[in-house]
Amino acid sequence: MGALTKERDVRAAYAAHSGELYGFAVRSLGDAGLAEEAVQETFLRAWKAGERFNPEIGSLRTWLFAILRNVVIDLGRARASRPRVAEGGVEPSVEPLEQALLAWQVEEAMRRIGEDHRRVLLETHFRARPYAEVAEELGVPEGTIKSRVYYGLKALRVALEEMGYED
Amino acid sequence: MRTEDHRDWRLSLGAYALGDLPADERAALAAHLEGCAECRAELRSLEGVAALLPLADPDRIEAPAVRPPADLGARIEAQITAESSREDRERRRRRWRLGIGGAVATAAVAAVLLLVALPIGGGESSPAQQVRFASLPKGVSIDATLEPHAFGTEIQMYVKGIRSGTLCRVFLRGEGGRTFSAGSFRYRWGSDSEVRLSSALDLSQAAVIGVHAGDRTFTAPISSATAMVSGAGIDST
Repeated sequence: MGALTKERDVRAAYAAHSGELYGFAVRSLGDAGLAEEAVQETFLRAWKAGERFNPEIGSLRTWLFAILRNVVIDLGRARASRPRVAEGGVEPSVEPLEQALLAWQVEEAMRRIGEDHRRVLLETHFRARPYAEVAEELGVPEGTIKSRVYYGLKALRVALEEMGYED
Repeated sequence: MRTEDHRDWRLSLGAYALGDLPADERAALAAHLEGCAECRAELRSLEGVAALLPLADPDRIEAPAVRPPADLGARIEAQITAESSREDRERRRRRWRLGIGGAVATAAVAAVLLLVALPIGGGESSPAQQVRFASLPKGVSIDATLEPHAFGTEIQMYVKGIRSGTLCRVFLRGEGGRTFSAGSFRYRWGSDSEVRLSSALDLSQAAVIGVHAGDRTFTAPISSATAMVSGAGIDST
């Protein structure tokens, strides 16, 4: 059962996922113009291969990200690595891209959780500030900071799971 | 174990998983974990997420979200519409080609025939324009036929002689210097060397057609018939 064979399916898929795909493309390619090209190519490939998409196997989002990943590798190789590849005969490792995708997902998940939780995680964990100091700045008891860290991590887990993360 | 104590310990599990709990509290919570399966299970589920946090960059988290340009969706739809009608036409052409090409057996010969036959046969009655890239490296040839459409310009491109597997990105440049992507393809030696692409720029406004092929860029003016080779990275699509 193909789910992306009609132009209107592509339109719906674009409306639902283009923001995220573009966000990751910009992060991994570091260039807005190339990111546009990558997203355009991703939807074109998705439409051409639409028959092969099976919603029973995985989500549309996961499928689109898998296509984008390949597009980004193609564009990245074409842009930066080609001379090195030709000389050394070694393909560039795809590891940094997997890493970039994971990092982007964590950052995106952090953006999706509530402001209170995000703020506390950023200040206490990323910026390593003492709980007491952050509590005073926010005008809440220290215990509240601790519980926001806890609920923030739980919310982050849910946000990541929505993006397909599994332990 | 009292319920309130358990709840307090539970709320400390986030800080514990992140390694941010002071040493004395950490030791006390570790003692509680020994005897509490529920908290141990909860800790495991938080530790997976905590381990991912070092990957994230706090400045990126707080940076304003990037959004794709407002017209990108329309450009993608236009390209898909173009590809659909192109595929229909391709099917008709294939039937026609089979009719005259019965004696042609090998793929190599068929590809050469295609190069000769299509610019003429593809014209039908539309005001298509042919462009030949000049000043190319020895052994390389690139020709293109451009056809005006309501969505922009359809491009049939014929490539020969570049390294197999090379990623080619095609673009049109308008009179005003703005560049419009026409998509990309990978050149494969021995396969059909004709590709069909489309760009949102109107043919009437297109001044230059170009191909980034690997680390080289080839361009040709659309009204006359000379082309230049420029270095890598000069043009951006």
